[in-house]
Amino acid sequence: MIIEVEELSKSYGEIKALDGVSFTVEEGEIFGLLGPNGAGKTTLIEILCGLRRLDKGGATVQGYDLIKDTYKVRGVIGFCPQETLLYDLLTVRENLAFSASLYSLSSKKFKERLESSSKVLGIGEFLNRKAQHLSGGMKRRANLAASIVHDPAIVILDEPTVGFDPNMKREFWHFIRELKKEEKTVLLSTHDMYEADELCDRVAIMHKGKIAALDKPTVLKEKIGGQATVHIRVRSDQAQKTRALLKEYHFVAKDKEINIPAKDAWQTMHEISNKLISHGIFTEKIEIVEPTLEDVFIKLTGSRLTGSEVS
Amino acid sequence: MNSIIGIAVKDIKTFFREKGTIFWTIAFPVLILLLFTAIFGREIPFNATIGVVDNDKTASSIGIVSGLNATGFLTLRNYTNVTEAFEDLNATNIRAVFIIPSNFEQSLPYRNATAFLTVDGTNPDVARIVEDGIRTLLLGYYKYAFNYTDPVTLNAEKTTITKNIGYKENIVPGMLTYPLLFSSMVVATGAIVFEREKGTLKKIRASPIHPINMLIGKTLAALFQTAIAIIIMSALAVVLLGPKLNWNVPLLVPIFFLGSMNGIALGLIISCIGRAPQEASNAATTIAIVLQFFTGMYFPVEYLPDYMQQIGRIIPMTYAAQAIRDIMVRDATAAALLWPIATLTITAVILYVIGILLYKRWVEKE
Repeated sequence: MIIEVEELSKSYGEIKALDGVSFTVEEGEIFGLLGPNGAGKTTLIEILCGLRRLDKGGATVQGYDLIKDTYKVRGVIGFCPQETLLYDLLTVRENLAFSASLYSLSSKKFKERLESSSKVLGIGEFLNRKAQHLSGGMKRRANLAASIVHDPAIVILDEPTVGFDPNMKREFWHFIRELKKEEKTVLLSTHDMYEADELCDRVAIMHKGKIAALDKPTVLKEKIGGQATVHIRVRSDQAQKTRALLKEYHFVAKDKEINIPAKDAWQTMHEISNKLISHGIFTEKIEIVEPTLEDVFIKLTGSRLTGSEVS
Repeated sequence: MNSIIGIAVKDIKTFFREKGTIFWTIAFPVLILLLFTAIFGREIPFNATIGVVDNDKTASSIGIVSGLNATGFLTLRNYTNVTEAFEDLNATNIRAVFIIPSNFEQSLPYRNATAFLTVDGTNPDVARIVEDGIRTLLLGYYKYAFNYTDPVTLNAEKTTITKNIGYKENIVPGMLTYPLLFSSMVVATGAIVFEREKGTLKKIRASPIHPINMLIGKTLAALFQTAIAIIIMSALAVVLLGPKLNWNVPLLVPIFFLGSMNGIALGLIISCIGRAPQEASNAATTIAIVLQFFTGMYFPVEYLPDYMQQIGRIIPMTYAAQAIRDIMVRDATAAALLWPIATLTITAVILYVIGILLYKRWVEKE
């Protein structure tokens, strides 16, 4: 285990930001902390990076004790916060050189890392441009490059794609997968269920300072998210007839939309499709909707990942 | 690269690319230096034009008028009647009207001769100089004409302890203290405040660099920036003003170093006390602006009112300013500088330790 967290607690006055959090992260995996704002993700990350003190519990990072070996722990982590922490008046190369100096990297090693980062993150084209003249996407790439310039074993990313458009998000996900290919361990926090589902090998769902569930996304969805649903949309004038035909199924209908939970969704969709066609009903849409991590979160907490209550 | 050097190099690069900082730490003090020298540095001989109405026209009155003419600080304009002279006085064309009445010479042997002087009192200094000058001349003339002897004779003598220096010789050493406040203190405050404001301190704190090493890196950068400011100001002062000063570099360097360390330590303290980054930055600038008047930068401390001198005595920069002036103006030796060096060393160490403790406390609180 490259990260082991045990019964970690942290309070801000009366507010318990972390309440006995325990988990482990395996070497080379992408581990996600999924939860809404205020769930305790950032506090947990900042404690692991040595930016905050813990109240109770403990943790080891690559075998180093978080409290006793703080500086060693910091040396093996590459921390990329959600805000871009570049010096506007310095070029990207100078920003990276400064980050490298914080880890006392030799000039030779820095050159190697610069080449490698340029390849993986595609920053080579704007290495000599001042940070203030970079686009948002370039800044985020340069920011990530600065966080990993010292070749850390563990990369910690705090909400790395907040404020990204879908294209930028996809591009960034690609970079994170590249890190995995480089055998880095990635710990990322997010409140984006698709991001967690898409990227993470395992996900810890956090709610009010606790871990509500932890497993592979597929397992979480299967075990907690509930059954898949066959979703049907018909013409408005055929909605009543359709409902009558499907009365043997337990469905939830609203106007011309019908959702039918099914254990074997493919078999059920096949049956329904045949039945409707044989009665002259042509669907506008028929699809299987798998449970998402949002469903898992709702089942576990009764609220959405945005923090709003489920009506 | 070593992390301390890395911090220093980063800060120096940022400094040279930040036009605003360069203006406040280098261009602004140079402007102040030139401005002050332009205002106070000129050596203009005093001269006042006065109107003279000689109604006596005797050897004595003519002798007095030629004596006034010979003083060098009075330009005489002769009038034949009093009305005309007063019209010019009211029109501020002349500073005073001096009237010698017709019976002046006759009354001299009886010691009751009276001359009349009306001085424009708008400028009290000018009025006093004119009045004192004419009074002295009349007494001198009486003594000369009638062998009058003062009951007590005072042989007054003036001696110059320091070199005979002008305003520019006084202001240049004072202005070289300016970087100790503005380049050291304000830049040191800004260096920490900037990292807090921008959030980059988080990045530094998440790295394995020890907080003290970070502060050493920032101190090196601030020292370098101060040195640059001092070198540029010195060069400009020499080229533009040409002051006759003793540029004793081996003695000046330790004073500048210790003064800068005091400034940096104060900056560090201010940056940790301010709750919001902007608050700390504003506080540093305000404190620097106020302190410059107490430290004797623009005038020697002796020129300041007593209460300002007392306040100045508790400010380390006052000792730096005094030592710099002593070296450059009074050719002070190393032995004469032991006291300011000891004071500056002790205050620098105390302030720097306080700064480190406050920074550590602040980091833990964060």
